[in-house]
Amino acid sequence: MASRSRLSQAQAAWLLLTPFLATYALFLVYPFFRGVWISLHDWNLLAVAFNPDAKEFVGTRNYERVMWGKDITWSLFNAPILQTLGLVGLVLSVFLRRMNRLSRFNAIALGIVSVLLVFLPGFHPGEGGRWYDRRFWPTVGNTLVFVAFAVPGVTISALLLAAALNRETRAMGALRTLFFLSQVLSVTVVTLIWQIMFSPRQGLIANITETLGGTPINWLTDQQFAMAAIVIATVWWSLGIAMILFLAGLQDISKDIYEAAALDNARGWKAFWFITLPNLTRTISVVVILQIILHFQVFGQAHLMTQGGPNDSTQVLVRYIYQTGFRDSELGRASAMAVFLFLIMGSFSIIQFVIGREKG
Amino acid sequence: MSGVKMNNVIKQYGEIQVIHGIDLQIKDGEFCVFVGPSGCGKSTLLRMVAGLEETTSGQMTIGTRDVTTMDPSERGVAMVFQTYALYPHMTVKENMGFGLKMNGHPKSAIEAKVAEASGILKLDEYLDRKPAALSGGQRQRVSIGRAIVRGPEVFLFDEPLSNLDAELRVEMRVEIARLHKEIGATMIYVTHDQVEAMTLADKIVVLRLGRIEQVGSPLDLYRDPDNKFVAGFIGSPAMNFLDATSGEDGVTIQALKMTAPNPIGKTSKAVTAGLRPEHLEIDPAGDALRVDLVETLGGVSFAYLVSDTGEKIVIEERGDEPVSEGQRVGLKFDAKRLYLFDAETEQRLRA
Repeated sequence: MASRSRLSQAQAAWLLLTPFLATYALFLVYPFFRGVWISLHDWNLLAVAFNPDAKEFVGTRNYERVMWGKDITWSLFNAPILQTLGLVGLVLSVFLRRMNRLSRFNAIALGIVSVLLVFLPGFHPGEGGRWYDRRFWPTVGNTLVFVAFAVPGVTISALLLAAALNRETRAMGALRTLFFLSQVLSVTVVTLIWQIMFSPRQGLIANITETLGGTPINWLTDQQFAMAAIVIATVWWSLGIAMILFLAGLQDISKDIYEAAALDNARGWKAFWFITLPNLTRTISVVVILQIILHFQVFGQAHLMTQGGPNDSTQVLVRYIYQTGFRDSELGRASAMAVFLFLIMGSFSIIQFVIGREKG
Repeated sequence: MSGVKMNNVIKQYGEIQVIHGIDLQIKDGEFCVFVGPSGCGKSTLLRMVAGLEETTSGQMTIGTRDVTTMDPSERGVAMVFQTYALYPHMTVKENMGFGLKMNGHPKSAIEAKVAEASGILKLDEYLDRKPAALSGGQRQRVSIGRAIVRGPEVFLFDEPLSNLDAELRVEMRVEIARLHKEIGATMIYVTHDQVEAMTLADKIVVLRLGRIEQVGSPLDLYRDPDNKFVAGFIGSPAMNFLDATSGEDGVTIQALKMTAPNPIGKTSKAVTAGLRPEHLEIDPAGDALRVDLVETLGGVSFAYLVSDTGEKIVIEERGDEPVSEGQRVGLKFDAKRLYLFDAETEQRLRA
């Protein structure tokens, strides 16, 4: 009998997985740990490029330099609005849990967010003290503001669009394609389009305001409106995927249920509120978390439309990392910030994972 | 509570007409079953009563109100769907109370009505469960409960038992019959299963291709069908149809090699003779037919016979000694049990 070497199933699996694992390790796992390692060094990009020994191990000093300051103290009413909000949330989560109006999972989630809201904004430099990096926390704040507007913006408009376009007519099919089309454009094209749109001289929005008798807003150079402009462009750009996910979710809801609801006097908005939304909660949470993770990484829009300005009002985390690393050559500090960003996004990934398990 | 009246009701989808001018009156408290093969328009007609399908022309009346153009929720009807159509995100209690909640009833009133319905349907222990945690039969009970809670003038059932297994189907059938007795509301029930139709209905409406073939009580339809279609549809196994000629001396059925007395007393050339399996008896003396197959169910047996003309005949036997396969036999029957139909128009030929 001819002996033929045969692979066991496990061996075959590993063999087939190897290309992926190798690529994954080489381009994701290794750079990640390398990044963490760099963040522990005083590492000047150019100096180390020419002389590999020009780096110095500094432990967590980069983190301290970025996130901490001299004479930092904590007090309860440093940021009264945020911290009060946190306290209210904390009380609510305990109260609603006691009243059994909130599931355990939701109560814990609300509790954690509230604690963070009370705790984190409480830090500030004491008398004579200062932040080592005065731009970092405002940049984090800008990023949070961006996420806080872009995510609901995308989610709500995608949901409404999907609900409106969830019909089997040719026109609806064409509109679906049209709305999805913006998604395939690159960020450079998107920002170009919106720079023109927002232009106070020849832009479409300015033209409309003028026809209506208003003075055109200088969107991109006005500190009040710059962030809004970036959020609007982003919502337009990233509607597509969310809309497709919602459409898929909508198709999962059986038509019979809407007929039963019509007999129960729930049509139109009532049906949307009482039938569609509750049946989409899972899709909504997936979309929200995906969008949060995506939009924390905002870079192109702020970089190309406003260059972080005016007056740093649209400076976002990734852009700051980019500037610190590649303009100022402070690779160690940039890596420390990147690790910070990773932790934020990682925690949202974990939340998504937990939600998926909770309901699945 | 009130009856339902249809006056020349028509349904068109674009150019295609699927319901061709139905006139029908369903009395207050009546249990009316729409029955027919798939595609006959029975579900469409029911959905037109519900308002889920628009009525293209004609008039639909519930009680004394013209509901032809009313919204489903204003018609005072409740519907039980084949797929149950329960709201998956709501508990049994919320499912049943949803209609009242949407109509702005106070919480206490809703709770009372739900409790009452769940008592009738024995759903008390499931009230806080979601539909996913219920069996098919329980789901359909919830769906019926949802209809009861709304206290409608007319209950509509769209093949409510089709998704259940055979045993549950019988159980639920009995339960629906009991419910009708208890509540006494007008009910319209769509099914393709003639056993359900026969057992539940006060009045059966047999539909074919969007037209009414016959309306009547179950026994009327069984005993006195207007045409070959109704005769074949009502009764199980179906009526046997055999080519025959009717002459002065009687009806000659070639397949049975016999001539029976002519029940209609008229002459006409080609007719179709209809004989129900349960009205046929084996005549051991005859040899017109060959026994092809015998199905023994215990109490009764069905024998499938083939004539020399190639026609197939089913008979029901209640004797202890059924015929055996391959045997040649003849058939006899009571002349009163012979139905004749015009071979061309398929209409019943009556005396």
